[in-house]
Amino acid sequence: MTTGLDRRRFLRRGVGVSAGVTLLAAGGGGLLAACGSDSDGGDTSTSSSASASSSARSFGTLAVRLSWIKNVEFAGEYIADQRGYYKAAGFSGVNLIAGGAAATPQDTDVATGKAFIGISSPDITGNAITQGAPLKIIGAQYQKNPFAIMSLSKNAITSPEAMIGKKIGVQATNESVWSAFLTANKIDPSKITKVPVEFDPLPLTTGTVDGWFSFVTNEPNALRVKGFDVTTFLLADHNYPLVSETFMVTDESIAKNRDKVKAALTAEIRGWKDATADPALGAKLAATVYGKDLGLDEKEQVLESTDQNKLILNADTKKNGLFTVTDELVDENIATLKLAGVDITADKLFDLSIIRELYKEKPELV
Amino acid sequence: MLATIALRVGRTVLSVVASAAVIVGLWYAFIKVFDLNSLVAKDPKAVWTYLFTAEKAPQSRKAILDGLWHTLGDAGIGYLAGTVAAIVVAVTFVLFRAVERALMPVAMMLRSVPLVAMIPVLTLVFGRGLTAVGVIAGIIVFFPSLVNLAFGLRSGPPAAADLVLAYGGGPATVLRKVALPSALPALFVSARIAVPGAVIGALLAEWLATGEGLGYYMQRAQQTFNYGGVWAAVVVITVASVALYAVVGFLEAIVLARYGPSAGRGR
Repeated sequence: MTTGLDRRRFLRRGVGVSAGVTLLAAGGGGLLAACGSDSDGGDTSTSSSASASSSARSFGTLAVRLSWIKNVEFAGEYIADQRGYYKAAGFSGVNLIAGGAAATPQDTDVATGKAFIGISSPDITGNAITQGAPLKIIGAQYQKNPFAIMSLSKNAITSPEAMIGKKIGVQATNESVWSAFLTANKIDPSKITKVPVEFDPLPLTTGTVDGWFSFVTNEPNALRVKGFDVTTFLLADHNYPLVSETFMVTDESIAKNRDKVKAALTAEIRGWKDATADPALGAKLAATVYGKDLGLDEKEQVLESTDQNKLILNADTKKNGLFTVTDELVDENIATLKLAGVDITADKLFDLSIIRELYKEKPELV
Repeated sequence: MLATIALRVGRTVLSVVASAAVIVGLWYAFIKVFDLNSLVAKDPKAVWTYLFTAEKAPQSRKAILDGLWHTLGDAGIGYLAGTVAAIVVAVTFVLFRAVERALMPVAMMLRSVPLVAMIPVLTLVFGRGLTAVGVIAGIIVFFPSLVNLAFGLRSGPPAAADLVLAYGGGPATVLRKVALPSALPALFVSARIAVPGAVIGALLAEWLATGEGLGYYMQRAQQTFNYGGVWAAVVVITVASVALYAVVGFLEAIVLARYGPSAGRGR
């Protein structure tokens, strides 16, 4: 009964939001409605009963927009696909849409209905929401922010202050994180030379830059496998608490397709439970199946996977379940985002009710 | 002669107005036909709002205009670098045929390898400062200017060249008195291609090398879901390009009325 009430309330709120967006769309009315029906994927019976087992229904193909190329960063998704967790959750299959340096931003793909669920980060999604995108974060894979500054050990940079007077390579995508990080550590941006770079850390090895902005899981391990001795420090250890690899969906999906969202999360949780239990499994799938054409080094992918698991698992996720975010962490995130110039409230950015509900309904998933 | 100038200027202004109308029309049609999501695809009205009537419009305008000035400066550097190089090389080609045979393949290579693919190498060699901007934008300007100028320098009437030679002038005098004036129309024709080209080159250099100006602004705006900013920047840089094109046309009208092939026929 309570679920019914919830549903209605969410439906009303969802309609309000989409009406607002349609009003915004001067000259292009009805676009959102068109996108909505795209992302539904032929699923019409969701609203009938919330308690029926989800495997009895078909949600169609699930389109998941990844935040990066198909490397081990998405180990849980590969395992969920291989072991049929998406199918068990009621999907006919999964379409993992790769991201990458030149791809459309993931939030755009979800907001326009090209993907049902996307993996992003609070700063990007926060920006998108303040610009009018009807999105919400519904869970977070990484409890700890993966961004790090990497340097060669012979010229090591081990703290934010040590960057002063040095040249740091920063990608355009990561600009907002970079400036927020400097603000959080009270460092004057003009004292550091920021060099625009792409994602290949070659300029670090040639000495064009002294520091490199990257995921602690990716480029550092790539260089280690090539024989470079690199040092990293995590932004998360220096006043930058921000979850990452967050799942986001549209407000409309939350309102009208709550069961489909839950089904997607169920498959994700099962996949990631397996991935965190065995780092080698996802690494092998990334190197030999999903990212076969990327020339990934399986050994390096295992290193990445191991590092990544340290960001995903902590006392809170072990107790509350994967992807959950505690209220304190949400508040810290909002405060960090404010430093980044993203002024947004917790309930505009996060909707963690679905994941909490899911764990209440299926405690065995924890 | 005044009438000729007025006629050419008038035609240029008319073409600017017409092209603006066509662009706005196509813009609306594009969004309509492809049924694009209004979160991403902003129409002219949304861009107007972003730039002028929205609450944050003054900040948005400042960010874009700062970027624009930077980009125009970069485009100017690129245009100068590319055109000076093209003039020098074209003159060398005309004076020494053998050089043309040796160097033309190199110039062709610059044209046929996508510039985006070359930029990582170029930034390794030239760094990420103004030199890189000059080189990247200059490469786009260089080739069309070179081909046009080499042709233009040879288009002088042979009889005029003979006259100079008969009076004891050497190849250098022929170049100065006959070839260079007859290459002026070619210089302007290539400017019409090269000036918008220099703007593209400057944007590219900013995006991939320097991280400043509108080129980088657009990249960043797109990454932060600031699609209003992306479209507004595109509009502003397009308007600037059209304006520059018109200025080139205006200068061309004045210069060609004096030196051009139909210089004497205007009256």
